[in-house]
Amino acid sequence: MLNRFYLWVLFLSSLVLIAYTVFVTYQEITPEWKKYQVEYKELLIKEAKDENIRKKVKAMDIKLQQIYLGVLNKVDRCTSCHMGVENPLMVNEKVPFKQHRGDYLKNHPVEIFGCTVCHYGQGRAPNRKEAHGIGRDTYWDYPIMNLEYIQTSCALCHDLTFLKDRGGEKVVAGERLFRQKGCMGCHKLEGVGGVLGKSLDGIGSQPIAYFPMRYVKGEKTVAQWIREHEEEPRRVVPDSQMRVDVTPEEADFLTTYIMSLRSEEIPRKLRRLTGAKMPEEIKDEGESLYKMYCIACHGNGKASVFDEAFKRTIPAIKNPAFLKVADDKFIRENMSEGRAGTQMTAWKAAAAGLTEQQIEKIIKYITKDRPKERPVPFGFALFKVNINHGEEIFKSRCVACHGENGEGGVGLNLRNPVVQKADPEFLTITVRDGREGTAMISFGSKDGGLTSQDIADVVGYVRTLSKKKYKSH
Amino acid sequence: MNDLKQSGINKFKNNLKDLRNSFLRSFIREGKPINDLSRAAVMANNFFLHVQGAKTHVNTLRPGYTLGLGLISLYLLLITVITGVLLMIFYNPSIENAYNTIKDINYVVFTGRLVRNMHKWAGEGMIISVMLHMARVFYTSSYKKGREFNWVIGIVLLILTLGINLSGYMLPWDQLSYWALVIVANIIQSPKEVTDVLGITKYFDMGGFSKELFLGGLTAGKESLTRVYLLHIMLLPLILFIFLGVHFWRIRKDGGLTKPEAFELKESDTRYISGPERKTEVFSTNKTYGLMELVKTRTPAVSRDIENNLLSWPNLILAETAVFFLTLAIVMVYSFYIDAPLRELANPLIPENPAKAPWYFLGLQELLSYSAFMGGVGLPGLALLGLALIPYLDREPQHIGIWFSGKKGRYIALESLVVGTFVLVGLLAIVIKFGWFRTWWPDVPQLLIILINPGNIWVGFMIMWSLFVIKRTDSTRMGAIALFTMFLLSYVILTYVGTELRGPNWGFYWYKSQWPVH
Repeated sequence: MLNRFYLWVLFLSSLVLIAYTVFVTYQEITPEWKKYQVEYKELLIKEAKDENIRKKVKAMDIKLQQIYLGVLNKVDRCTSCHMGVENPLMVNEKVPFKQHRGDYLKNHPVEIFGCTVCHYGQGRAPNRKEAHGIGRDTYWDYPIMNLEYIQTSCALCHDLTFLKDRGGEKVVAGERLFRQKGCMGCHKLEGVGGVLGKSLDGIGSQPIAYFPMRYVKGEKTVAQWIREHEEEPRRVVPDSQMRVDVTPEEADFLTTYIMSLRSEEIPRKLRRLTGAKMPEEIKDEGESLYKMYCIACHGNGKASVFDEAFKRTIPAIKNPAFLKVADDKFIRENMSEGRAGTQMTAWKAAAAGLTEQQIEKIIKYITKDRPKERPVPFGFALFKVNINHGEEIFKSRCVACHGENGEGGVGLNLRNPVVQKADPEFLTITVRDGREGTAMISFGSKDGGLTSQDIADVVGYVRTLSKKKYKSH
Repeated sequence: MNDLKQSGINKFKNNLKDLRNSFLRSFIREGKPINDLSRAAVMANNFFLHVQGAKTHVNTLRPGYTLGLGLISLYLLLITVITGVLLMIFYNPSIENAYNTIKDINYVVFTGRLVRNMHKWAGEGMIISVMLHMARVFYTSSYKKGREFNWVIGIVLLILTLGINLSGYMLPWDQLSYWALVIVANIIQSPKEVTDVLGITKYFDMGGFSKELFLGGLTAGKESLTRVYLLHIMLLPLILFIFLGVHFWRIRKDGGLTKPEAFELKESDTRYISGPERKTEVFSTNKTYGLMELVKTRTPAVSRDIENNLLSWPNLILAETAVFFLTLAIVMVYSFYIDAPLRELANPLIPENPAKAPWYFLGLQELLSYSAFMGGVGLPGLALLGLALIPYLDREPQHIGIWFSGKKGRYIALESLVVGTFVLVGLLAIVIKFGWFRTWWPDVPQLLIILINPGNIWVGFMIMWSLFVIKRTDSTRMGAIALFTMFLLSYVILTYVGTELRGPNWGFYWYKSQWPVH
């Protein structure tokens, strides 16, 4: 009697095992790269000039190519498919057999630098999809870089002065824009810059997973993310406060520069860095500093604007009416310590990283249009302040802009320490004379309708605000 | 025979001629299994086979009784050992190279991807087969009458299976590994919740200490990988094999697998057995007997073959071989089509949200979201203790070897399944829809949540329900069926919820496509 049931199980399982052993073996001996190499070999045979060369080509082994880059701890197998990168005969062939463009490989031999140092992608993978790392399902941190932005890799080892006329034009143009658009007003770079945005150190080396791609319309790449974030910050990052205004071309340059901010450490012997900084092209240093750190928010500084993202008015710091009241000490205090409760960063060396000299230069630049004549003194000290009366006036005249509890709105936040600790003389003068170019009218004028005593009372009341409890939302 | 007459050279020649036969004779001393005696001898004399009896009961051979689950678990283990050794040739347990070597195994090692897939899926398959094996043993009452302790060993083997799987999950050092490591470290740290509530963490930080011991530091790093590797390739397998040996040995000593007392051959049995060749009586008069071994079973009747027992060779061996090939085929086909996951390189700066443990621990992670201590230590500890105690609390000797102990047990199991599903799903719905104490009263003391949370309520309900069943049916076995059914049910449901329905910040989502950003 046969044990038919178990025999059948055994028989069928064995058939399946044999079949799949064959499948697996077939799969393993016909990898994707082999097809390309066979095709490449045929190409070479066709191109061969004489019989001797043809013989040599025919003897060529079909095998996995690999470049081991010990110093970089990288293994690049790209040349398994891209066989012709160093072969001048392949200059007009199609990818992947095409010769590398330009004469870059002359100074960057493939066997020393490999491919992924510049191009990114997954060097170990011997198939197209995973080697290029395109698509979320390849789970590769560094997908192959779009050729549009490939010059960002040059900046890994070369100074911008060197790259200026050697294929790094976009990076150089982007760097200039970066300084002129005031990006560092919010973004730290090498320890200097504001804190509202993320630090940009090594941003070009961040894994793609670092960038949420949900709202990106174009290709889901890091460069595209950065670009769309520059063009429409709040579409890509819904609660972003970024203030930026760029043309498409400028966005392209800026993106290129930002993508060149990498954190990879290329070994010294492979680098060509002289450490030279870009020459300061703008003569007036105060002006260039103002552009680097202030212009993104304050613009030309002539008129104050209400910012939707900030939910407050950005003061016009170069407006003569402001400068007439605000003395250097006041401006210096504000710049160094920032204004708590607002987006204004503390720029002192210990915080955002500007030196005292740099702050002085910026102040000198801002205040160059300060009117000669000083405001008429108010003489706050001479008044006897009635805080209750001040509160009445505040509730009827000030809350519309400054908020029920002085927390700010269209107008400034009056609770913040800068206002609270400010010289009351300065505050009374501001209330009396108003701030030209803003919604702050002159309350001491006929239209304003406050007497000097009223103004002194209001300022007295405002100065008590910080002692009152108020829960911010 | 006539050694003395032959010359030395001739002796050598003849020995050389006879080499094949003499070698085979020395290798298989009983000769070819051509008659019942030699068939029995194969089993008794072979080191690897003698853990099984020379004869096997027909019940053991019925596929519908064991479902081959214990064997499948063993075979999956063997597959993981063999593929594991192959992987060890290439794998390098350092955070610089672990990920790269796994990539190389996938990309350039010949059949490396298949071997890795098989290792992964056989390992995770073991969890399923061991669980099902446990269920089979339970529902056929095979934990009774001397087999109590072997059931406990079985529980230990289940824990070891989970442990080995978990430690293996962390070796590729990709994002999945890293964040699972972080989660598991937090589970290990969960006693801290209790010491915090009691205010004694400063003096006795049990959780913190265990976490540090496991990670080899305060955070997951290279020391953690070394430790996890040690656990995965040496410590846990070593313990597993020791317990496995004891597990098998005890089955043998208990007289093989369980079988019903009243056993009758069925027509269908002929499909997977071949009967004895001998037609004469077993105990013929002209034979001497010696006491070979004492096993716990009923005395065989004289002059009659042991009822319904067949020679293990070829019956059992064929069945076992068939199951092995079946297991291997399933693992291979599955591994051919489905790749073991491998994500991006581990990056502590990019947290996965939600960071999830491997799927077999997601039920625990769901409980963990109610209370760290109860989910991480309290409830799983209680569940394992309860499982281990089952044979000691239910000692009714009837119905051994019968699925569900008959019709009544089938009904109780079904009833518990339905009732349990309603209660558990209802409880989860309340938690998901309305939250728990912390949502209702933000200032509620943590101790209250540790004591009263959905996990505890569910476990409390399981215990109350099975006590109710015991009272109603006057049978501890029925109570055990109710409890065990609900345990399996909650493992499945909680694992499903944790795996499929939990998204970022452990929020509830019907589909993954509803997840916010990412």
